[in-house]
Amino acid sequence: MSSNMVCAAGIDDALSESAEAADTGSPTDVSEGPRQPRRVPAGFSRRFQAALPYLLRIISVGAFFVAWEIYGQAQETTLFFAPFSEVVESLYDQVQTSEFWNAYRQTLQPFLYGWLLAMATGIPLGLLIGRFTSISRISGPYLSFLNAVPVSTLVPVVVVAFGIGMTARVSVVFLFAIVEIVINTAAGVRFVNKELVEMGRSFGGNEWQLMRRIILPGSMPGIAAGARIGTGRAVIGMIVVEVLLVSVGVGRLVDRFRSRFQGAALFAVVLSLAIFGVAMLELVRQIERRALRWRRESGLDA
Amino acid sequence: MIKVDKVSKYFQKRDGTDFAALSNVEFPIRDGEFLSILGPSGCGKTTLLKIIEGLVKPSEGAILINDQPVKGPGPDRAMVFQTFVLLPWADVIGNIAFGLELRGVGRKAAREVASTQLEKVGLTGFEHHYPHELSGGMQQRVGLARALAVNPEILLMDEPFGALDAQTRQLMQEDLLNIWQEEQKTVVFVTHSMDEAVYLSDRVVIMDTHPGRVEEIVDVPMPRPRDPDVRRTPEFSELTSHMWDKLRDILKRDQATAAAEAAKKGA
Repeated sequence: MSSNMVCAAGIDDALSESAEAADTGSPTDVSEGPRQPRRVPAGFSRRFQAALPYLLRIISVGAFFVAWEIYGQAQETTLFFAPFSEVVESLYDQVQTSEFWNAYRQTLQPFLYGWLLAMATGIPLGLLIGRFTSISRISGPYLSFLNAVPVSTLVPVVVVAFGIGMTARVSVVFLFAIVEIVINTAAGVRFVNKELVEMGRSFGGNEWQLMRRIILPGSMPGIAAGARIGTGRAVIGMIVVEVLLVSVGVGRLVDRFRSRFQGAALFAVVLSLAIFGVAMLELVRQIERRALRWRRESGLDA
Repeated sequence: MIKVDKVSKYFQKRDGTDFAALSNVEFPIRDGEFLSILGPSGCGKTTLLKIIEGLVKPSEGAILINDQPVKGPGPDRAMVFQTFVLLPWADVIGNIAFGLELRGVGRKAAREVASTQLEKVGLTGFEHHYPHELSGGMQQRVGLARALAVNPEILLMDEPFGALDAQTRQLMQEDLLNIWQEEQKTVVFVTHSMDEAVYLSDRVVIMDTHPGRVEEIVDVPMPRPRDPDVRRTPEFSELTSHMWDKLRDILKRDQATAAAEAAKKGA
């Protein structure tokens, strides 16, 4: 979420590593000092090339924090917009309280259940939808509905139906995540090489064997994409339900700090959520990399 | 013995009319015989092979194996595909064992059989390579080993060397003959190469197009085991030129029909 905002600063500026990078608007700024003569050793150049993507990411995020700090310091009061340093300080203080971790425990439980439930039902359902036209037709309307309606609007419905307990929160996380998992998995199935399926049939494979030995591994790219997007959506669902309706867990912290105008503490909680979301996505990406090693190595992925 | 018994296959064209891919095809295939089906594209030779395989149902007629009609794929037959069709996520051993595993053989036992087949097709040392790390010829060796691993009585081969370069192709033909000589399996081999058909086969079924049907069945009386040098004998040239005469007539006629149809559409 943060990296997009510094794009305006331009890549060249970001590379200059200057603290002011985020404030200078032009990518061809001449104020980055004398240029280095282009006589760098090959080893350095290659290492620099390899590190460049990471460097850019770090610099991008760093520039954003710097801009945040400067804007925050420029405010008359830190009540509404706290500078980055105060937010970090607040976060540092909060992680040492049991309240913070209790809030996360309360929040993560429904997230974990809803997320696992969405994966455990979404992937098999996606496989069946991709494989059998009839199942695709039967489930089509529901998927279209969930896809077309913003899931946030279903949150009140869920709360009315299930109350504000664990069931309701698990349901919301589930509803947020399920559609992308199903749709991407089904799309993955349709990209499975049809000849492989025919080969399986030729060697006498039954439907279950074809599913497990050919369709499932073959549609891994789609499943992985679905898991990645679905995880992001589950994180959103987890927060939405707490912030919008049921004031528990991390959502209650947000509520409290908001009503007391504790800007730094509020931002700190949001920052911790962002860190959690990014960490979850990274976790899924690592699993995906493992599952798709054959694909990368066989040159099917760019 | 396999009996191709008055097999016809119709497909529906987009305009709703029927199109005869195969019409009244009939010939026997003897046990242990190496039989090639030769014909230009559009003669239905691959369709015929898939009907013998059991994945395509004939519109009329039947395939009889030892007097039993084929109703689907069976353990007595195994297919080698033109495009190899290997699992990209499985290594060589995993691919060779795959057919056996689908037939219910345990993983360990299947891999043991796969190792012996691997040796037979000359892939020792490549057990744990993945398909993308192999050349086309080696990938087809995996495809052949996978088919041999299930120990079928009948080996069905759909232009198996069509995707390979000329040199690799020739080597594969020689190796296939050696394996066939040892294994005593019936081979039904679809090809559009006259040279390949004559070199490998006991008999060659030449097929005509529109509709796909048997034009002629040619005996190849050259002795076994067959040396690659038979290609330079007068008998070999005689047989291939006889086949070429037939195929050229079919191709010329098809060309003329296509041109006439195009002209009619254009007018």
